[in-house]
Amino acid sequence: MNRYFYYNFVLVSFINLLLYVPHILIQYRYTGAVSSILVGIVIGTILVYMYTSAMARYPGKGLPEILKLHSPQWLVTISMLFFSVMWWFATTIVVVAYAILINRFFNPDADANIILTMLVIACGYAATRSTLSVMFIVEIGMIVNAPIIIFILFKAVRSNQLNWDAIHVVANYITEMPTLTCIAASTFIFTGYINLSLFNRLFPPNFRFKFRFIYPIAGAVILLITFFVPIGFHGTEGVNQYIYIWSQTANSLLMQYGFIERVLFLFLIVFLNLTLVYTMSGWHQAMEFVKSCFPSYRPEFDSLKTPMSNYVIVGIFALLSILYLMLTNEKMNMLITTYWLIVRFFVEILIVVWVFVLSKRRSKAV
Amino acid sequence: MNERIRLLFAEAIDIKLENLKNSEMSIEVAYIEPLCEEKKISDFIIVPFIKEEYSFQAQLDTNPDYEILEDVAMWQSLLLRGHVLIQANGVVYSFKAERVICIENSQTQVESAIQGPQIALSENINISLNLIRGMYPSPDLSVEEHSIGSLSKTPVFALFDQRRVDPTVLDNVRTKLTTINVEMLHSAGELEKLLVGNRKHLFPTILITERPDRITSAISKGKIIILVKGNMFALILPSTFFDFMHAVEDDYDSYWMTRFLIFLRYTSTLLTITLPALYISVVSYNPELFRVQLAFSIAGSRSAVPYPSFIEVFIMLFMIETLIEASIRLPRYIGSTATTVGGLILGQAAQQAGLVSSIMIIVTSVVAISNFVIPVNSLSFAVRFLKYPLIGIAIFFGITGVAVGLFIYITYLCSLRSFGKPYMRIFGKLRPLEGDVGQVKIK
Repeated sequence: MNRYFYYNFVLVSFINLLLYVPHILIQYRYTGAVSSILVGIVIGTILVYMYTSAMARYPGKGLPEILKLHSPQWLVTISMLFFSVMWWFATTIVVVAYAILINRFFNPDADANIILTMLVIACGYAATRSTLSVMFIVEIGMIVNAPIIIFILFKAVRSNQLNWDAIHVVANYITEMPTLTCIAASTFIFTGYINLSLFNRLFPPNFRFKFRFIYPIAGAVILLITFFVPIGFHGTEGVNQYIYIWSQTANSLLMQYGFIERVLFLFLIVFLNLTLVYTMSGWHQAMEFVKSCFPSYRPEFDSLKTPMSNYVIVGIFALLSILYLMLTNEKMNMLITTYWLIVRFFVEILIVVWVFVLSKRRSKAV
Repeated sequence: MNERIRLLFAEAIDIKLENLKNSEMSIEVAYIEPLCEEKKISDFIIVPFIKEEYSFQAQLDTNPDYEILEDVAMWQSLLLRGHVLIQANGVVYSFKAERVICIENSQTQVESAIQGPQIALSENINISLNLIRGMYPSPDLSVEEHSIGSLSKTPVFALFDQRRVDPTVLDNVRTKLTTINVEMLHSAGELEKLLVGNRKHLFPTILITERPDRITSAISKGKIIILVKGNMFALILPSTFFDFMHAVEDDYDSYWMTRFLIFLRYTSTLLTITLPALYISVVSYNPELFRVQLAFSIAGSRSAVPYPSFIEVFIMLFMIETLIEASIRLPRYIGSTATTVGGLILGQAAQQAGLVSSIMIIVTSVVAISNFVIPVNSLSFAVRFLKYPLIGIAIFFGITGVAVGLFIYITYLCSLRSFGKPYMRIFGKLRPLEGDVGQVKIK
C-alpha cells in the first residue's frame, strides 16, 4: 500500500508551483537559492526518514491519537488547533491564488470572489467525505493528472527554447550562503510526508514503508526543474518579472499536433484539478484535527453517515477562505506565503521531532 | 378440515374442497385449482385412491412427497402456493402440485454476448437455480430463502459461496432482507431500490443481470446473488463502478482487443458526459483554447445561429433525448422509422435552417452514440443524466466549471459504498501479506 503514501508526496511536490515557491526561489537566485536547494534536499530527506520510521511504529493511528497516548489533553488540544490552522493556511493560500489565476487566464470577466466560492464549495463538499474516500479521490486525481504534468515538465526540459547558458550562470551562484527563506521554500517540496499525520490511520499494522530512496531523488528532480527551467526560458533577468512564473513558462510551449495548441490551457486545467485535490486533502486533515480536540471524539475513517460537525467545520474553513481573498491582494498573499513557509518549516520540524522522540521512548519502554 | 378452510378463504369458486371415499377409507382434499397441475393431482391422489391397487394410507406414509402438516397456521399459505392438502384418518398431509407458468428456455435479450453462453435466467426459479448450480458445481454454494412482501410473500433466494463470501457484507444483506417492509414485490429492480435504501441515488450500486455466467463468476469472487421468484433477473452485490463497465465478453475475446474496447468505453463515457458542456465553454468563454483554424471553423459553422450556445445545446439535447426515449417505447417495427426520421431529417434540416450549428450536430450524435457503449443499462442511464449538471455549471463558469464538476462527480463516486465496499476504487495488485488500506477498524 506504499502507493497511497507516495500519492501525497507527489501531490505536494507538484503543488509547489502554485505556492509561489519557484517565484520565491528565483527572487534569491543570485543570493543563495542554489545552495539552499541543496540544503533543503538534505533536510527534507532527513525529515522524511525520521517521520516515516516514527509513524511506522504507530500503525492505524493518526497524529492526534499518538499525541494523546503520551501527552495531557490540554496540550494535545492546543497543538491540534494550531496544526489545523497551519493546514488550513497551506491549502487556502493555494486555492485563493488559483482563483485569482483563473480570473487572470480563463475568465477575465468573472469576479474572483465568485470563482473562489465555486472552488470552495467543491473542495468543501469533498473534504467532508470520509478519510478513505478522500484517499481514493487523491489516488484518482494523481493517476489522471500526474502523467500530464510529467508530460509538460518533460516537454519543457526537452524544448529548444530552453537556454542552458542562463541555467549555467545561475547554477554558478552555488557558493552563496543559503538563506532561511529559501531553505523553507525548498523543503516544501518534500512536505508530503506530513500528510501521513492523518492518513497513517488507514495503514494496516503489517505495513512497511518501501522505496523511501525515491523520495529524495524525485523531490530533487522536481525541485531542480521548477527552479531552473523558467530561468532557461526567460533568461536570468527576465525571469524575475513574473509572479505566475510557471504559467508563463507553460505558455511558452506549443503542442504542434494537438487540437489544443497552447500548453498553458492543459497546464491550467491539470493544476486546477491538483488544487482541488490538494485543498480537499488539507481541509479534511484540518477538519479531523479540529474534531480530535473534543474529548468525546472517536476516530473513524469510513463512517456511513457524514457527521454534522464535518459540515460545520468545513463551512467555517470555506467562509474564512473567502474572507481571506477579500481582505488580501496578490502582493499580501505572496508576503504571507513567504512567512507561512518559514513558520511551516519550523512547525514541521517540531512535529517530526516530537513524534520521533515519542516513538523512540516507546520502543525503549517496550 | 374442509369446513375450516371454507371459513379461512373468501368466497371463490376456484377453491376445490372434495370428499373422496373408497372401500379402505375416506379422505378430504383441498386445493386451489388454477394454481395446481391437474395431472399431478390425478396421478398422485385421485387415480391411486380410486383404483385401490395399493393401500392409499401406505402410500401416504412411505412417499416423502406427502408431508405431514401439524401447524394449522400454514394451511392458508400452502394452499396459496399451489399445495394440495389431504386429510386422512385425522392427519393432514400437504402435497406440492404447483404449476409454474413461465417463458421456457429463454435467450439472453438485454445483455447479449456474441460468443459465450446464450441462455438467460428463467422466470422459474428452479430452472435458474439449475443453471447456476450447473455452472458452479461446488459444495460450498449456499442457498438461503427469504420471503419479502407482507402481501405478495415473494420468495427470494440468496446465493453465495460460503467460503469466499465477505461475512460483513453477508450480515448486512441478511439484516436488510429481513427488515424490508413492503406489501408487494414484483421485480428485481424493485428489490434493488429497497436494498439500497437511499431513495435519491444516482448511480446503481447493485448489478442486475440475466446472464448465468456473470452470476457464477461473481459468486466465485465472493459476491452475493439474489434471485427473485418470477423474475428472470438476478441482483449481484456488492458491485463496483468497474463491474458496470465490464462486459462479459471482455473475458472471452482476445486480450488486446478487449483492452482496447475497455479503453474505448471509458473514453466514450468521458465524452458523453463532458462534450456538450465543453462545447458551451469553448464557444462562449474560451475560443482561444483551440488552435486558430479549429476555432474559426467552429465560429464559422455557428455564424447563422441567432442565439447563445447553451440554447443551441438545449435544443439539440432535447431532440436527441426524446428520440432515444421514443425509439425505446415504440414497438420494434416502428422504432427504426423514428430513428431514421429523427436522425437524418431533423439533423440535416435543423442545421440548414440555421437553428443549430453543424458542429453541434456532431457533438449531439457523439454524445448519443457513446452513451450506448456502456455495457450495463442501469449505468448507461445514470451517465445519461450526468451531462446536464455539467452544462449548467459550464454556462456560468466555462471550462473551469467543467473541471470542477468532474471533480465533484469523482468525489461523489468515491464516497459511494455498495454494502460497505468502496464503489469507485482503482485496485492495484494487492499483496496478501501487506494488508489493505483502511482494513483495520479503529475501536
